[in-house]
Amino acid sequence: MSVVVTLPQLGESVLEGTIARWLVKEGDRVERDQPLVEVTTDKVDAEIPAPEAGVIEAILVPEGETVAVGGELARIGTGEGAAAEPRETAAPERAAAAPAAGRERSGPPAAVRATPAARRAAEEAGVDLASVEATGPGGRVRRADVERSRGAEASAEARREGGPRAAAPPRTREPAAPARRPGRAAPRARDDADAEARARFGHYAIQEGDRVTPMSPLRKLVAEHMVYSKRTSPHVGTVAEVDLGGVAAVRNEQKRAFREAHGLPLTFLPFVVHATVRALREFPALNASVLEDAIVEKRDIHIGVAVETEKGLVVPVVRHADRLSLAGLAAAIEDLSNRARTKKLTADDLKGGTFTVSNPGREGNLYGFAIINQPQVGILRMGEIVKRPVVRPIDGQDAILIRPIMHLALSYDHRAVDGAPANGFLHRVKELLEEAEFDL
Amino acid sequence: MSEHLQIEWLGALRYGDALERQLAALAERRRGGPDRLLLLEHPSVITLGRSARPEHLRSAPAVLAARGVELFEVARGGDVTWHGPGQLVGYLIVDLAARGTPDVSAWLRRIEAALIEALGALDVAARRIPGLTGVFLAGGGRPRKIASIGVGLRGWISWHGFALNATPDLAGFDDIVPCGLSDVAMTSVAEALGVAPTQALFERTRGAVAAAFERSLA
Repeated sequence: MSVVVTLPQLGESVLEGTIARWLVKEGDRVERDQPLVEVTTDKVDAEIPAPEAGVIEAILVPEGETVAVGGELARIGTGEGAAAEPRETAAPERAAAAPAAGRERSGPPAAVRATPAARRAAEEAGVDLASVEATGPGGRVRRADVERSRGAEASAEARREGGPRAAAPPRTREPAAPARRPGRAAPRARDDADAEARARFGHYAIQEGDRVTPMSPLRKLVAEHMVYSKRTSPHVGTVAEVDLGGVAAVRNEQKRAFREAHGLPLTFLPFVVHATVRALREFPALNASVLEDAIVEKRDIHIGVAVETEKGLVVPVVRHADRLSLAGLAAAIEDLSNRARTKKLTADDLKGGTFTVSNPGREGNLYGFAIINQPQVGILRMGEIVKRPVVRPIDGQDAILIRPIMHLALSYDHRAVDGAPANGFLHRVKELLEEAEFDL
Repeated sequence: MSEHLQIEWLGALRYGDALERQLAALAERRRGGPDRLLLLEHPSVITLGRSARPEHLRSAPAVLAARGVELFEVARGGDVTWHGPGQLVGYLIVDLAARGTPDVSAWLRRIEAALIEALGALDVAARRIPGLTGVFLAGGGRPRKIASIGVGLRGWISWHGFALNATPDLAGFDDIVPCGLSDVAMTSVAEALGVAPTQALFERTRGAVAAAFERSLA
């Protein structure tokens, strides 16, 4: 069961509110009456409390957006199953049947001491536990011992005797019913190098109480892409501090009119994309790819915009972003993120990006370096926008002002791009944002 | 009766300390404690509400700090304002739902009405200006503001409240564009009456305000 938290009717003449700050995040457990969100109206700043205890299932309106009275803000899952459910479905049999792995069994002593995982492995492989040489603490048979005794491929791993991670789980078959049979969470070995590395460094043996979720196809794809990118491309990171005061002023001035004219919220993201596109025109080295031993600078600018969805990260592409006005960019980004969230993206929406902007948002994100979206050579990652004291000259005197500051982090591929153009590009993005000369 | 209003005079209290006091009163109110009016005076401080615009601060924060003026960002509605000695600050920790009036617009009008009544008792004729929150001197010409109002809601419990200029040095407002209203002048009870800003006048103002809220929210 879930309850929906809406913006209450705060007063006769209060028609809408702007989400100032979320005080909870998705997945948080909340008590009844715990403040969830700060909403600003033209009259008051109001904290909306939780109507019921439960778990925040979804936050429906991001910070900075305006909602009409009665608009839905968040969904709270109530009742017993709200939090516990995914945990239980992850490994039902384990929870029910298996006592501790790595702890003493509490029941009557078995003839052969063995971990539950080893028993299961032995049963599956048809191995008699009594015939297996035990290496576990207290002379217990571990799963690795079972594998070794049947001459499994994993024997190399098992030979790291005594190490805490020596136990190698059995190779998963096809993950047909993964939830019923917790296997490895990591993707299968894809080449010999991976298998060798695993053998050398070991990997985690699942323990009682662990929650095991097989990777979704999208998760696997993302994982592979990340590993490939890091392996292929030497990443260098550089950060700029950007004063968004000018952009904030333009945004505040225009957002109402913008919503009326285009039916869209005006966020910071299109401003950043717009500045990025203009800077890419001046620094084509960042709008490039490495093709074997050549560097290809592209004429067209297609900007990938990283979007978090329920299913994970997707990066739909705004095509010909350099031909779009700020409003056009805002509309394109809005359309793509809506379709990403409702799973209506087509394969074409995800293809052909020449540069990427990532906006992970949320609090606690000062800055961070994104992994380059291959085969591109650069990615910009937006940090949180926070008011900070900065030094600015006022009437010839240095003074401390409070300004909205964002850290903008560029990761670039040092195969293709050197520090000077990369810094030049990042500085140009900063300049354009601080000049804040945007035509809507 | 939880709807009874408990009025407390806290004397001079720094903004941060008063904030803690308010939060404690809020927590108590949530547990079934009384509605409260906390009356006090702040040492010089500038506070920025959620809708405050940086350009409404006329002096750089460093300059203010050097003069001993504190700066706070606050979870209340409204723009920027100044508090300081001679200004009577009232924090109203009131459960609007328990009073059967869960309407913030009506609540703001009610605070204004009580302040207008209190000023009337001091022979200061004051009024509302439609569209603006706060209390202004009656009469035409450029609006002269005598009390500012800014409240926050936690659930239906209101906090923050009002600041009535009894006998302050109005130069305190020179650092800001009060409440973002550049065409509004700030005034005080002393100025409106054309008398000296004495401690006795401050205390009379305090008495009148307490009496008016006691009647309004009893």
